[in-house]
Amino acid sequence: MHSLTPTPIKLISYDHDGEKARHFTFGLLDPKAMAAPEPGQFFMLHVPGAGAAPFTFTRPPDSQGVFRALVRQMGSVTSALFDCEPGSILGVRGPFGKGWEISPLKDRRVLIIAGGCGLAPLVSLTDHLIMQQYCNELVLLYGSRSAAASVLNPERERWGKDIPVIDILENRGHKHIGLTGTPMDAIDMVINRMKAIPDVLLLCGPEIMMQSVAREFVRRGLDAKQIWLAIERRMHCAVGTCGHCYMEHQYACKDGPTYRWDALQKLVARQSADRQAAYHC
Amino acid sequence: MQTYRLDDPSVLQKHLAGKYRVYQMATGTEGNASWQPDVDGESISGGQRPPLSSAKTLFFSEQENLFSFDGECFRETLPTPEPFAVFGVHSCDLTAIAYQDQFFADDPYYQARRKQALLVGIDCITPCENGFCPTVDAGPGVSQSCADLILHCRQDGSWWLLVCNDKGVRAITGLDLDRAEDTALQTREQAIDSCKQQFADDGYLIDGIRVLHEEKMPEKFWQDVGLQCLACSGCTILCPTCSCYGTREKLVDDNRVEVERFWDSCLYESFQREASQHNPTLEPGQRVRRFWTHKFGNEFVETFDRYGCVGCGRCEETCPGVIGVHSIMKRLSKYA
Repeated sequence: MHSLTPTPIKLISYDHDGEKARHFTFGLLDPKAMAAPEPGQFFMLHVPGAGAAPFTFTRPPDSQGVFRALVRQMGSVTSALFDCEPGSILGVRGPFGKGWEISPLKDRRVLIIAGGCGLAPLVSLTDHLIMQQYCNELVLLYGSRSAAASVLNPERERWGKDIPVIDILENRGHKHIGLTGTPMDAIDMVINRMKAIPDVLLLCGPEIMMQSVAREFVRRGLDAKQIWLAIERRMHCAVGTCGHCYMEHQYACKDGPTYRWDALQKLVARQSADRQAAYHC
Repeated sequence: MQTYRLDDPSVLQKHLAGKYRVYQMATGTEGNASWQPDVDGESISGGQRPPLSSAKTLFFSEQENLFSFDGECFRETLPTPEPFAVFGVHSCDLTAIAYQDQFFADDPYYQARRKQALLVGIDCITPCENGFCPTVDAGPGVSQSCADLILHCRQDGSWWLLVCNDKGVRAITGLDLDRAEDTALQTREQAIDSCKQQFADDGYLIDGIRVLHEEKMPEKFWQDVGLQCLACSGCTILCPTCSCYGTREKLVDDNRVEVERFWDSCLYESFQREASQHNPTLEPGQRVRRFWTHKFGNEFVETFDRYGCVGCGRCEETCPGVIGVHSIMKRLSKYA
């Protein structure tokens, strides 16, 4: 049986991590209450009195049940979370969904392109790939609205010691140097920097960005079956019964949120692809 | 399947009332029938049509608490119903319950109610106004796999009682009934076949479903139909297989929160809208199209081994925008 009842967690601490974004550290009151998640799986965070919303693990629960998640203040649940002080008791359910397929990345040239808070579902995967030296080549291209809106700065700085991490900002401001534009504008530069066109492309960010980038790489010769992405949908139950995250006959909470790009196309062909908010969690 | 003679269904009803809380159709002040417990004075008849509200609310509650939070702990609030019998459920609605049994197989709230229920079906012996159950293999005779007991009204006004399974056997234990004649099941099949022959021509339904499968309709079709959807949720509320729900928080007092789920509708504009305001189904045509593919799409048949529509016709009856199943299929069939 599915349980729709959360298990309690304590809000341990948080760091400010970009505009209206915080990197939270939570602790399971019972460290054994949750199964170990795979990179890319998500959990439902329950903020009593406000509701629940899906978030990804940026660090899975350790032996003490401590885990981390990046959250941008966007709606009523996240606003209520931002009002919580360390020590607050909240709820969690999970892990849910399908995470990233890791085996196709073994000894391959892998390019990760993330936008805004879309980097969050790729954090634990990137950590894993770097730590295990799993890929032949690994490059991260990260796009965001501005330097202030960029998230996971400590993580990108840390990864930058092991792999190329390339940032591109839509609005760079006069004080900064570097790439300006969206990830689409940096594709030539990234490919030139890699040994060759990547074998595998991983995407997470605004859907319109992911679609544009995926189509461009397919145009350049990358097999559509080598493109993977994670999508965001509204979710209430996370077990495939409430219906909110439907895409044709599938449910993003259960059948996703990571998909192979060509498989996803059939599901989103008739959905509205426009992103009204360019970069968000 | 053992079959017995029954002079009057009320004999069975009274017997079951000693073991179960009995729900049956009751007519309200506005003339609409709905499922009510402990109904006195209402008889059941062979020609009775299904009530406007299906029996799904008895298992998938219109609103129910999922859990509560007291500031420290979350506590699951599972329902604990006494054994209950649903008396006189038509084949379309029983087929829908079997469909939801599968959909909610791992839902503890649904299953807590379902395991306590005895389903007493009733064969339809005449078609109802908007029903087309034979077209979607959901009637008019009750399938043995969908009920525990089946009532069949004979032409002379007497009844047969069919016992489908062990649960049915236990339910009638203590009831003194005569075995039916050997030809009972065959005669019942003939009556059901005769009922099937009386249904209106379903050619446009079959054509419309085929057009939907083959996507022969232009994209503009759904835009036009979407304009007629008032997002009233009448169809999704009355549809016996619709199962979408939302959740909401109820502040009981300073220290206690209850979380409730409630019937939602995929036809609401906000149904898929995210906190960022991104809405993957912003256009009403997208939502209406998905509703109908959910009811007739082949992809769902692969999972459930049948269509999501059981042919009750309630959507046609309730839709103020005239885009219920008959209206939609007539329009789709023009592209056949």
